[in-house]
Amino acid sequence: MTTTVAHVESGRAERAPARGRVQRRRATLIGWSFILPNFLGFALFTLVPVIAALGLSFMSWDAYNPPKWVGLHNFIRLSQDPMFWAALENTVLYAVGHVPLTLALSLGLALVLNRKLRGIEFFRVAIFFPYISSLVAIAIVWNLLFDPTSGPVNVLLTHLGVHNPPGWTSSTTWALPAVIITSVWKDMGYYMILFLAGLQAIPGELYEAASVDGASAWHKFWNVTVPGLRPTTFFVLVILTVSSFKVFDLIFVMTEGGPGRATLVLSQLIYQDGILNGQFGYSSAISLVLFVMVLLITLFQYRLQNRRQD
Amino acid sequence: MKRPMRMLALAGITASALALAGCAGSPSTSSNNGSGKTTLTITTWDYADTPEFKALFTAFEKANPDITIQPVDVPTAADYEAKITTMLAGGDSTDIITVKNLTDYSGYVAKQQLVNLDDVEKAAPSDKLAGLDSYQYKGDYFALPYRTDFTVLFYNKDLFQKAGLAAPDNLTWDQFAQDAAKLTSGSGANKVYGAYVHTWNSLVQGISAVQNGKDLTDPSDYSYLTDQYNMMLKLQKAGDIPNYGEATAQKLAYQTEFETGKAAMVPMGTWLIAPLLADKAKGVSVPNWGIAQLPQITAGQPIVTDGGPTGFGINKNAKDVAAAKKFIAFAASEQGAEAVASIGIVPSYQSDTITQKYFGLAGMPQDDLSKKAFAPDSVKPDIPVNPNAAAVNTVLSQEHQLIMTGSKSVSAGIKEMESLVKSQALSQ
Repeated sequence: MTTTVAHVESGRAERAPARGRVQRRRATLIGWSFILPNFLGFALFTLVPVIAALGLSFMSWDAYNPPKWVGLHNFIRLSQDPMFWAALENTVLYAVGHVPLTLALSLGLALVLNRKLRGIEFFRVAIFFPYISSLVAIAIVWNLLFDPTSGPVNVLLTHLGVHNPPGWTSSTTWALPAVIITSVWKDMGYYMILFLAGLQAIPGELYEAASVDGASAWHKFWNVTVPGLRPTTFFVLVILTVSSFKVFDLIFVMTEGGPGRATLVLSQLIYQDGILNGQFGYSSAISLVLFVMVLLITLFQYRLQNRRQD
Repeated sequence: MKRPMRMLALAGITASALALAGCAGSPSTSSNNGSGKTTLTITTWDYADTPEFKALFTAFEKANPDITIQPVDVPTAADYEAKITTMLAGGDSTDIITVKNLTDYSGYVAKQQLVNLDDVEKAAPSDKLAGLDSYQYKGDYFALPYRTDFTVLFYNKDLFQKAGLAAPDNLTWDQFAQDAAKLTSGSGANKVYGAYVHTWNSLVQGISAVQNGKDLTDPSDYSYLTDQYNMMLKLQKAGDIPNYGEATAQKLAYQTEFETGKAAMVPMGTWLIAPLLADKAKGVSVPNWGIAQLPQITAGQPIVTDGGPTGFGINKNAKDVAAAKKFIAFAASEQGAEAVASIGIVPSYQSDTITQKYFGLAGMPQDDLSKKAFAPDSVKPDIPVNPNAAAVNTVLSQEHQLIMTGSKSVSAGIKEMESLVKSQALSQ
């Protein structure tokens, strides 16, 4: 928004240099005044705490007494903490399961629902519904569905001939897959909407031209849809990855990180060590590691995207 | 062009001013409101549904007409500790901090957030206050108890009669397991379990530790937990107690399991008494129940059970320490105990008068066994006050889940408890 205003103003500036400078400054001020309320909130409630956390990760602090400088102690402790390594492994496994599954399913749904059919809106809303439902309700209902003996999931599996259905949330092997399934189900509607918007932005002429050239449906998908969706896919991928690494609420309500440490993720460890055990320095160190990890992965994705565009 | 800009600037300033005002808008509590009346602020959780606070506050105000109590409420009990941490970190000046459990107490003491109360303790009827010892840290007291809960065995008298069993007077754990097997009947929706052991680690580890005379914060050897775990796993395998995984997946509530007659015996804290009385008074169908002593390892020994106090401490930033001390002394006195006992809460202050009053409440069982169970020989905390208490409990609770869900063998779980508690405690 700011840039367009500034652009228009600078066009005038060529005609009258002195007046132009004043106008440009005014435009900048208008721009600033637009983002100021938002920026103030961001600075107060996000930027300051983030910088504080950065400093705290080199200190020992119980949130009450003055913090003590401990240098790299928190990071050394981190490297030897089995809880941290377990949480890191679970976080990565969760992301590896959650990102591709959500991406594939939401794209598939968008393709299926991108038609002009009567009542198609109903299906779109139905798929989107989990996203706007209460997360706590979703977690509790899925917990009941995954009940190892009387839950509908295992009853169905037994009917289908599976003799030893998984224990889901009460088994260390299956708890993470159970959480991933629930989160994919919850998130796919949202990303489907993003993909739908992306699909509708692809010009129809391209498909017509491809048809004229005798392209099959598969060719059209691969050579028109996929390249046309590239900006959307990139956006979805980045948002999905970041949100996977930050996952907390769903897992916390569904399993509280259990059984044992089977679904303990980094965000929960940060909460546990900070809020519950009162070690804010150590938990800031963990959040710094999480931040750097997400940053590196996002930068890598940007590089990849840029290279493809070149 | 000019006008909108000025408007915008104005809007920006107003917005930021509002945001700042919102930040600074913490309520200021005045300890003296002019009319000579002192206002005392006390943190509470779920004030509307935790009647003990109101009972205690009203009784205190009646005895001290010059002091008014203003509760500072945290509506969700589960968020209480996190909220108090945040409040204290922000320099909050609420006079009295209600100490919900010993783990929280350990945290306040480690952070030096509470005022030393040795003088109040000396003046209090210390020998009659159950659970007071648990608050002693390096010889000092930073809180005094007003209620002390301990684990007893709740049992359904009708189900015992139907199974032809004698009341569970002074059982051993082996006898408990045998009774549980005999009391189990039916299947599917009509299944009645011999017992319901809730998912908390304290119900296996805490009980086992206090009955073996051990301290759970000491990771050198946890092998004393083996017998208790083997018994629970055996009961679970036989279907005499609900499966741990189902209990967590369905988020089973111990009160419901007992009230609906789904479980004949429930080892649980005495805090379950008050809701049972309240439900009965409300007309909810409650089975014919009684309490018995918590089962012991061997017969004929003194009754040892786990439990702990709930109490009050004074905030280091308190406005009115003198009035706060007055309240804490009151809460630990016989008068305070009467107020608390009148609504079915077990007060810390113990005397025959209080016990009589307590059993005089409508709906309380009147048999001798229940009265005997109400006075165990020894009540010990399952995790003693220790700066690492919260971190230790996190590890113990994780391993408890692993053992109870069968993901780890008892011996492997115990081994991991030892190594993880050691590493967590050392790294602090």
